[in-house]
Amino acid sequence: MGGKVSCTLGEVKNRADFVLYWGGNPAECHPRHFTKYALMPKGRFVPRGRKDRTMVLVDIRETKSVKAADIFLQIRPGKDFEALSILRALVKGQHVDEKQVAETGLTLEQLTDLVDRMKRAKFGVMFFGMGLSMTRGKHMNSASILTLAAELNAYTKFVAMPMRGHGNVTGADVVMRWTTGYPFGVNFSRGYPRYNPGEFSTVDLLVRGDVDAALILGADPGATMPQPAIDHLARIPTVVLDPKVTHTSRLARVHITTAVTGISAPGTGYRMDEIPLPLRPALRSPYPTDEDVVRRIHQAVAEKPDWMAAGGQTTTTQI
Amino acid sequence: MSAIRLTLKEQPGVPLETEVLSPDALADLAHDEIRSLPVQLGKRRRRLDDFFEIEGERSDEIEVHGDLSLLKWIGRGMSRGRLTIHGNVGMHLGAYMTGGSIEVHGDAGDWVGAEMGDGLISVHGNAGGQIGAAYRGSPTGMRGGTIVIDGSTGLEVGMRMKKGTIVIGDTAKDFAGLQMKGGNIVLLAGAELRTGAWMIRGTIISLKPIAMLPTFRLARSYNPEFLRLYARFLSGLGITLPCAADEGRYDLYSGDVSVPGKGEIFVWQPAEAAASR
Amino acid sequence: MLRIVGGQVYDPAHGIDGVVQDVCIQDGRIVENVDAAPTIDASGMIVFPGGVDVHTHVAGGSINFARAMTPEDHRRTTAFIRSQTNRAGVGGMTPTTFATGYLYAGMGWTTVNEAAVPILSAKHTHEELRDIPIVDKSCCVLLANNEILLDLLEAGEMERAREVVAWQIWASKAYGVKAVNPGGVAAWKYGKNAEQLSEPVDGYHKVTPAKIVAGLAQIVDDLGLPHPLHLHCNNLGVPGNLTTTLETMQNLDGRRAHMAHLQYHAYGGDDWSTMRSEAPQLADYMNAHRNFTTDAGAVLFGDTVTITADGPWQHLLYKLTGRKWGNLDVENETGCGIVPYTYRPTNLVNAVQWAVGLELLLLIDDPWRVFLTTDHPNGACFWRYPEIIQLLMCRDFRRDCMAGQSDKALSRIHLPDIDREYTLYEIATITSAGPARALGLPRKGHLGVGADADVVIYDQDDDVARMFGHPRYVIKGGEIVIEDGDIRATPEGRGLLVRPPHDEQIEAFLRPLFEDYYTMSFDNYSVEMERIQQPEICDCIDTE
Ligand SMILES: [Zn+2]
Repeated sequence: MGGKVSCTLGEVKNRADFVLYWGGNPAECHPRHFTKYALMPKGRFVPRGRKDRTMVLVDIRETKSVKAADIFLQIRPGKDFEALSILRALVKGQHVDEKQVAETGLTLEQLTDLVDRMKRAKFGVMFFGMGLSMTRGKHMNSASILTLAAELNAYTKFVAMPMRGHGNVTGADVVMRWTTGYPFGVNFSRGYPRYNPGEFSTVDLLVRGDVDAALILGADPGATMPQPAIDHLARIPTVVLDPKVTHTSRLARVHITTAVTGISAPGTGYRMDEIPLPLRPALRSPYPTDEDVVRRIHQAVAEKPDWMAAGGQTTTTQI
Repeated sequence: MSAIRLTLKEQPGVPLETEVLSPDALADLAHDEIRSLPVQLGKRRRRLDDFFEIEGERSDEIEVHGDLSLLKWIGRGMSRGRLTIHGNVGMHLGAYMTGGSIEVHGDAGDWVGAEMGDGLISVHGNAGGQIGAAYRGSPTGMRGGTIVIDGSTGLEVGMRMKKGTIVIGDTAKDFAGLQMKGGNIVLLAGAELRTGAWMIRGTIISLKPIAMLPTFRLARSYNPEFLRLYARFLSGLGITLPCAADEGRYDLYSGDVSVPGKGEIFVWQPAEAAASR
Repeated sequence: MLRIVGGQVYDPAHGIDGVVQDVCIQDGRIVENVDAAPTIDASGMIVFPGGVDVHTHVAGGSINFARAMTPEDHRRTTAFIRSQTNRAGVGGMTPTTFATGYLYAGMGWTTVNEAAVPILSAKHTHEELRDIPIVDKSCCVLLANNEILLDLLEAGEMERAREVVAWQIWASKAYGVKAVNPGGVAAWKYGKNAEQLSEPVDGYHKVTPAKIVAGLAQIVDDLGLPHPLHLHCNNLGVPGNLTTTLETMQNLDGRRAHMAHLQYHAYGGDDWSTMRSEAPQLADYMNAHRNFTTDAGAVLFGDTVTITADGPWQHLLYKLTGRKWGNLDVENETGCGIVPYTYRPTNLVNAVQWAVGLELLLLIDDPWRVFLTTDHPNGACFWRYPEIIQLLMCRDFRRDCMAGQSDKALSRIHLPDIDREYTLYEIATITSAGPARALGLPRKGHLGVGADADVVIYDQDDDVARMFGHPRYVIKGGEIVIEDGDIRATPEGRGLLVRPPHDEQIEAFLRPLFEDYYTMSFDNYSVEMERIQQPEICDCIDTE
């Protein structure tokens, strides 16, 4: 059933001799990625740095990252899943027709060559961006590349990981998992955590209008979500905690200005490889931290009568 | 024993979870007991009669009237009886059901018959995604029974299903038969992209041409014997599967070789089209 | 203040075997006597010191990875409902942190040792440990594949290695040192393993698994850590691995070690089809060598998820089972692999594993040196311990469990020939007194004056599994936390640490290495003291 095979970024720095980016433009979106982790640095087992690594870029258009690549594979938009399926078949020695490859915009020769290079690598890594994970196929596109990496381990060492967006998305994911068991899209309406992406994920709840209030923290959905979601946020009481004025704060009923985490509020950030980093404030802020505000809201809510009336501390029949 | 009849009198403002709307839960209850059954409105517990006019008692035949688009989990895990819905219905209809039948005169939401074991669900309108599918992380979706959707459906129909039949009357969106392990999906009007992706075993039959993944191979063109038998089963559901040699034949594609899997996709080629190829 | 009256007390540390006597509590400790205190009438009940888990995986990057991989299990398991005082969560194979505290306490366990912490992500582990309520917590830091240490061993710089270890223990705010598949996880970084104790580790010329084990055990003793080297041997789970295990133990040459989850290291045979139990040989060796303690790592049939720093083993398991696989290699330090697994009584290998765990518990004659664990969640979930207690206490029940097994399976195991039945006194030893002593926690695992007032009271019941699964009262630090299956209070637990002395100059050696080895700055590496909940720094000891 595939899986998720990954490593911390130091492993990439110290060992990766094959680096592939799929559907991302690190040169512009994660500039430090090349220099600090994946491409340029001299690693313990890749002492010549860039010279010891092969870099492959797969994308639908030529971006600034192409210059940094040894091989650029320009794939037809929306054909990532198909190309990844072919690669998985080729890795296992399955026969694939030239004709069948055509729709991806790539040739069988290109894909066969890619598979050979992957198998010859001592330590391969594949990073994937929103160009893969947010286009048609979405989570199945991500699953494809993760599974390809897992399967390559029958031949050599291989890992894959998503290039996450900015902010502490990974941290939210990590904390949700240890408190609820699930990474995101968690519903507490029955008093215990439930998970169903598509049903309980924020954007779906908003688009369908399933919620009658919203508390927004560390995000600006007013700038990034589809219009029906934004319209619903404007319709319901929306409370925003943010150091600055944002698209969302403009449409919210309440905007509480908070201190900037990492600059004037302490905390922990999780890197895209789930390694925790302490955030140490350099400045003082006149504003409360997000944590202060949430604690005070929680305190006020806790004083209300318990609405759960669950009739027990546990249940063995979850709905 | 006449049917229990429920009529929605008040639209909930947020989704309402009504797993109690199932013959198993209602069949042995008196009228007052039915009225006071708990339902979940957002984070609050309410009574069934806060939302429904209720007539009748002690019956495993249930009729529900009204626009139930926001009502989830109707028929959850039901094992017997008959549930008829006049109106649209929300997510998880008949999920985990093991017997009995559900008929919807309207549209249904996502996860119809998810992880069901047996029974019959028919939806006369459209339905959402993940019909007969496995919930996230589960190894196996539908294990038996039949789902018939007259209209179109969303993504991932029959995801990881192992047994049973799903029939879709109009177009299915992407990933129909995703990671399928067995059973049959019949697509009367074809599907969008990536049908049968990651398929391990099982059968998909499409009566309209579909876009094939590059990891499926055309194996042969013929009129397989088992389809004749299967057509007889489907005719019991009012569905006609062409299988006479003079009408055309089926192109059999096998895959998904990326797994590598032994799934089969049969695409109907009517006689003229078959001749012109 | 509290007085527990009339209960039958089992306190092996003081040789008390079912004597009816009072237990008095004041200010969170056991005291001689209390005046006018509220009483618990424990007549007809059994009083134990709170359970101590010497080896479990409850917090940190690996278990949290496993949580993300198993939503299907969270849905089908017991859910914890939020209230004004309790936090929501789920139980199951990988319980959420709050649920972990409720489940351990609910079973009468009050101290747990998280057995595998990478330094690089130790902050994460401690954030999770904070969120495990009620129980006291310690953890072991993973060092047997740490490349800075391996490089020092390669260069023969033992003294500097000792200083580095001392620094690393404090940097990770750990309590002990764990070795997992020494050298094998480092080799896994290039897809290899370390199967021979005396062969150099991939990428090294002199360092062998044997040298790593001996070196670390020596350092742990030199530093006077209260808990000996916590050792997960090479070749875990592999048929015929008894040889490796015995060699490893001989190689320790009298030094102390805690042999983790011994069940996974006691197999004979050449391959999966010929695999058999070698528990008697290993038990004999244990019986004759008092420098070792061990925990069972017992297996129960059913679903679970396997989690270990042993990356190569997990890749093999993924290939064998074809199920989901998670892997996370941690730069310079360790790795982790995750594969869901179902132990089936009809599977020959699983049947042998099930028997081996019980055989070791029954054949190692000193209950002070073999402890009850399942290597949670690897062999089974910790909340299934009562089932194992029943298997140990009831020979007939064991026989019933074996009734359905094939002759082939029965010919590979020794359990049918073992008549021993554990007494309550011995159960109190392997679940509490023994592991507390092995961890070197002088205030845990007993009911003598000065001990932490962690006490469990059971209703006497012929159904052993029910009795141990549902204590009548659980008292933690003098406070009643569980009564009749309900959570009454959820106090914070303590974080148990050691601070072995080290030469401050070692930082000058380490700091420049970080540029080469790590992608994290030296200043961000150590776990700050503020992250530890109610820290208690335990004393180092004289191991001469
Ligand atoms: Zn372990």
